[in-house]
Amino acid sequence: MTDNKTPHHKIPLFLPHSSTSTAANKTGSWRYVRPVYDEKTSPCSAACPAGEDIARIEMLLSRTLIQEACETILEENPFPAVCGRVCFHNCEGACNRGQMDDPVAIQQLERFIGDAAISKTEIPQIKTLPGNGKKVAIAGSGPAGLGAAYFLARLGFACEVFEAASEPGGILRWGIPTYRLPRGVLQKEIRRIKELGVTLNCSAPVNAEMLKTFKNRYDAVFIGCGHGRAIDLQFEGAQKAINGLQFLHNIRARHEMSLNSKRTAAVIGGGNTAIDVARTLIRLGIDPIIVYRRRRQDMPAFDPELQMALDEGVTLKELLTPIAIKGAGRDPAGRQTPYLVTLQKMKVSAMQIEGRARVIPDGDQTETLEIDYIFSAIGAEPEAVWHQAPTGKSSSLNLSHCKLIKDDIPIAYGGDLTNRVKSVADAVASGKQAAIALDTYFKYGWDAVNKAVAGCQVGSGPAVSMAMYLDDDRKNRNPQIVSFNEINTHYFKSASRASVTVLPPGDRIQTFLPVESTLTPEAAVEESQRCFNCGICNACDYCRLYCPEMSVMVEDERRHINLDYCKGCGLCVAECPRNAMALKEENI
Amino acid sequence: MKQVAEGSQAVSEAVRLAKVQVIAAYPITPQTHIVEELSEYCANGTLNARFICVESEHSAMAALIGAASSGVRTFTATSSHGLAYMHELLHWASGARLPIVMTNVNRALGPGWNIWLDQTDSLSQRDTGWIQLYCEDSQDALDTTLIAYRLAESVNLPVMVVLDAFFLSHTYEPVDIPDQETVNTFLPPLSPRFQIDTANPAAFNQFVSPQAYMEMRYNIQTAMQRVPGNYNEIAQDFKAIFGRDPRLAEDVHCDDAEIIFVTAGTTVSTCRQAVDRLRQAGEKAGLLKLKMFRPFPVDFFRQVLNGKQKVAVVDRNCSFGASGIFAQELRAALYNAEAPPEIFGYIAGLGGRDVTPETIEDIYWQTKRADRLQTENIWIGLDQETLKTWRN
Amino acid sequence: MAQLKVTDQDYFIPGHLGCPGCGAAIAMKFALKALGEKTIVVMAASCASIIAGPYPQSSVKVPVLHTAFATGGAAASGVRAALEMKGDTETTVVSWAGDGGTFDIGLQSLSGAVERNEDCIFVCYDNEAYMNTGVQRSSSTPFGVRTTTTPGQDWKKTRKKNIMETMAAHRIPYAATASIAFPEDLIAKFEKAREKKGGSRFIHIFASCATGWGAPSDMSVKIARLAVQTNIFPLYEIEDGTRYTLNYKGDSRVEDYLQTQGRFKHLSKKDISRIQDLVTEDWNHLLYKTGEVPS
Repeated sequence: MTDNKTPHHKIPLFLPHSSTSTAANKTGSWRYVRPVYDEKTSPCSAACPAGEDIARIEMLLSRTLIQEACETILEENPFPAVCGRVCFHNCEGACNRGQMDDPVAIQQLERFIGDAAISKTEIPQIKTLPGNGKKVAIAGSGPAGLGAAYFLARLGFACEVFEAASEPGGILRWGIPTYRLPRGVLQKEIRRIKELGVTLNCSAPVNAEMLKTFKNRYDAVFIGCGHGRAIDLQFEGAQKAINGLQFLHNIRARHEMSLNSKRTAAVIGGGNTAIDVARTLIRLGIDPIIVYRRRRQDMPAFDPELQMALDEGVTLKELLTPIAIKGAGRDPAGRQTPYLVTLQKMKVSAMQIEGRARVIPDGDQTETLEIDYIFSAIGAEPEAVWHQAPTGKSSSLNLSHCKLIKDDIPIAYGGDLTNRVKSVADAVASGKQAAIALDTYFKYGWDAVNKAVAGCQVGSGPAVSMAMYLDDDRKNRNPQIVSFNEINTHYFKSASRASVTVLPPGDRIQTFLPVESTLTPEAAVEESQRCFNCGICNACDYCRLYCPEMSVMVEDERRHINLDYCKGCGLCVAECPRNAMALKEENI
Repeated sequence: MKQVAEGSQAVSEAVRLAKVQVIAAYPITPQTHIVEELSEYCANGTLNARFICVESEHSAMAALIGAASSGVRTFTATSSHGLAYMHELLHWASGARLPIVMTNVNRALGPGWNIWLDQTDSLSQRDTGWIQLYCEDSQDALDTTLIAYRLAESVNLPVMVVLDAFFLSHTYEPVDIPDQETVNTFLPPLSPRFQIDTANPAAFNQFVSPQAYMEMRYNIQTAMQRVPGNYNEIAQDFKAIFGRDPRLAEDVHCDDAEIIFVTAGTTVSTCRQAVDRLRQAGEKAGLLKLKMFRPFPVDFFRQVLNGKQKVAVVDRNCSFGASGIFAQELRAALYNAEAPPEIFGYIAGLGGRDVTPETIEDIYWQTKRADRLQTENIWIGLDQETLKTWRN
Repeated sequence: MAQLKVTDQDYFIPGHLGCPGCGAAIAMKFALKALGEKTIVVMAASCASIIAGPYPQSSVKVPVLHTAFATGGAAASGVRAALEMKGDTETTVVSWAGDGGTFDIGLQSLSGAVERNEDCIFVCYDNEAYMNTGVQRSSSTPFGVRTTTTPGQDWKKTRKKNIMETMAAHRIPYAATASIAFPEDLIAKFEKAREKKGGSRFIHIFASCATGWGAPSDMSVKIARLAVQTNIFPLYEIEDGTRYTLNYKGDSRVEDYLQTQGRFKHLSKKDISRIQDLVTEDWNHLLYKTGEVPS
């Protein structure tokens, strides 16, 4: 309306009302501690001999970023589909989720991711450095040798692998039965290594003389020949026993075995080889009995494998060791008669080493076992002297998973030859550690190797990470391992572990096909969401949600603190579900 | 249109004609007829307004503060204890610069419970920053209410329009109730100078430090000082449109008066009659109608009363420990006049005790007899018998 | 927010004067996310009045009308009436008051407003004492607490007033409790309240006060979580004053909560046991009302 009726335009008004915002108050000056994003190490990644960044792998999988998840595995381990089947998964034992309900099925998830990559539904990109002009000879194409080839090729080395057998893979090809590791799976993962430019020569054994010539043709050598010779039983008639490792090799080579079904067999030993032999025998229609000198809980074999065997009908006889094998001649009718094995009863002596019982003969007590076939699987050792690292050399480095000798050229020894724990994951770790050591040696010299290897340890080691060596973000992670009581379990709903279909024992023994299925994509993604992602930021945004000062900012998917306003209350750090932050004192 | 209407109705009609938009009120005798009328208007659509039946007077004022802050025209009415209950928010309304208009029916404060005329309730609120206008009769009540809106909205200060309990609120008189079109030419719709609005978000009435509070208070005082000038402009406009002159203070026979009565409310009407009688009897009596009490029209009173002999202030109120409030204010206003009159203060008619023309004449003679002031206040009409019982 | 069903948009500006770790600030942050920009906040005197920004600043992106302590309910009613007269049915009117302005000095005004079923959301952010004036007790202060007016041996021996039951007695369309430690629940309830136009809605937020309760500033959310998990502050809704819905069942003992705050430090085992009895009693009563148990 017109102003002449209300002359207020002449009177200025001054009353309390706002004209600016509080943004002018830089409350950051109140602070005496400040929050930082401080990613830490997950216990699973520290327990994995290959140091896989498991928390991150599961985070990627939970977002259905399967290719990225696979790339994260391949950063540290070229064999996800293999390990997803045969690894003894220490990671799951260390898994913090296990203290809330069930550990994450990390192995199953690795299997799923590995299978997706080899089925070409996901084609992962592998980071490699440009060629450095150096050549490495590798003896043995088991997981250690192929692992070394993989990591050396990625670092720019030209690698040539020499394998004595007709096909590569070592124990993966010739030791582990196909119901645990199908041939196609192994072949595809080996092909991925060859695609990096690695030359693979089969039926090309290396001997000591050849080894001497390598110094002229190569810049370094990696020896990963494994334990090729089975340890023999030493007692009367022991030579009658069939070599278990050789037996498995023959099965894989499809050689004829003159074994009749509906017979019985004794398998002497308590390791994975003994189990593999027994489970193979039962699939051939033979009734196996595993005879072990200690107790079930002392067996070096993976107990889940043993349980599978027992479910399939394998029998276990504990605290018995053979001392004589007699017989197996022919009866008057010309039929083969069974062996008579004398078994010494053992008992646990008072002392225990590392939780494994020491056993001694239980007086003179013996048992006699009438059996059609006998197999020995009491362990293996290097096949040749030169397979092993020489001792007493002046220039040698003993790393956790390999030994380096400085001869005319550096020679690295790895795999079962050097590892305390004889597993596929430890073998891969050997190859990686040797690759890092050799790369450092050529760039910075012998004296730099220890420090370089120590500098890419996951947590407090001994596993090393190639991502850390190549100076990835992972290098900035705090080596402190996140424990369960640092996890805010309130943020996680109880959920049970995904399960895969397992064939019933009756069906299993009819075939050498795989016993377990792989998780479906839906089940895998769901299972990966149970992972706490210990120590790493998974963008849950609880820090940003709770900040009373609106001072958690996101830029390019990374979070940082707006120090202009942050009062240092610490809520973000306290509420982070996975301890991926820390409070640091302010420099006042 | 002229009709016989109760004082309360005159107020309600004015509120209707002012097209008030939000009313929040709590009943208290003798204001009830006002709110009942307004409820009817809202219910039958005569007035398009939201009537909030709040649960107390404090909430009534709070609701109006909310509504006025949102930029609508508001109204409430109360009395006595209701007004006292609102006290905190009377300060708030003026501090918030809200053009709220409220009718207060002057009623005594208890104990003892007394529902009749006494001016102490509104005068107790004289420090709250509200403009106060006192009404003599029903026409005055209607006219003043309409003026109140223009005045309030011109300075952004709330206005209290004051009526006498029963003598005005419940008395029927002829009242000229104007038609809506005519009122529209006098009072346009509210054009708020500020309002809370999601389109222009701001905070109002927040925490203020010593750095700015004093200037905000000074701004209120400055606005108050504009009020008499604004009022006169508005009054001129009113006279031009409605033909009645709502002067902020009216002098009757003051030019040659030797004794001038100063009072407010229906007592003014009684005084008019008494002064006429005294004049007829040859006495030089005069009357100054006090209409605007806040701001106290100092200039006007100085101008009219300078050089006069005596003033008799009739206070139907008392500030204990001091004096009748009109007398006190007048004395303060005339302190700096060149030739201030002798000001006699009379306290009469508290709690509904009648003040008749005889009472006024009695005051005249007392004033004439006295050479100078003997005491700050003289209480008129105290019952001696009752006073005697005090000794027991 | 990346994985949460919560909007990124904030209507709350940093630089405000809330203590580090202020639960009331978090409550306001969450509520405003849900309410959005077509909101008018009527703010009775409380800590929030200061956090909302002193002259000439404001820390919120919506209009705020500061009002006297006791007047949240009435002032909001007035704003709503004015908006109706201006033809605005879209803007949400919110009264934002502390426990003082809701349970005590503001109770009459609130009761009057909700009895009239005023179309507003009445929010109480509860830090269980008159915090802005220096931690004096309110009727919302729980049994067992030391405040500056219930000091020493005179720690508060009366129970916390049940404001939800009070609101239920008015039969308002919607009343709910909420906690800063359950953000998605709180925001969902505000969205629900925002949409339920036409009548009175009441939301009672548990807003921890690390400063006033004697706890480190980084514990505010955890304390609020424990309050719910111990059933000291259950999460539930009441529709039309009679239909109760329970949102969460806790199973922790009160000790877990009490030991986190200095204001309970003086309690003996016997006192704690008594508190557990009181909480259990109220909890069982709530279970009955929500139909979880027969009687």
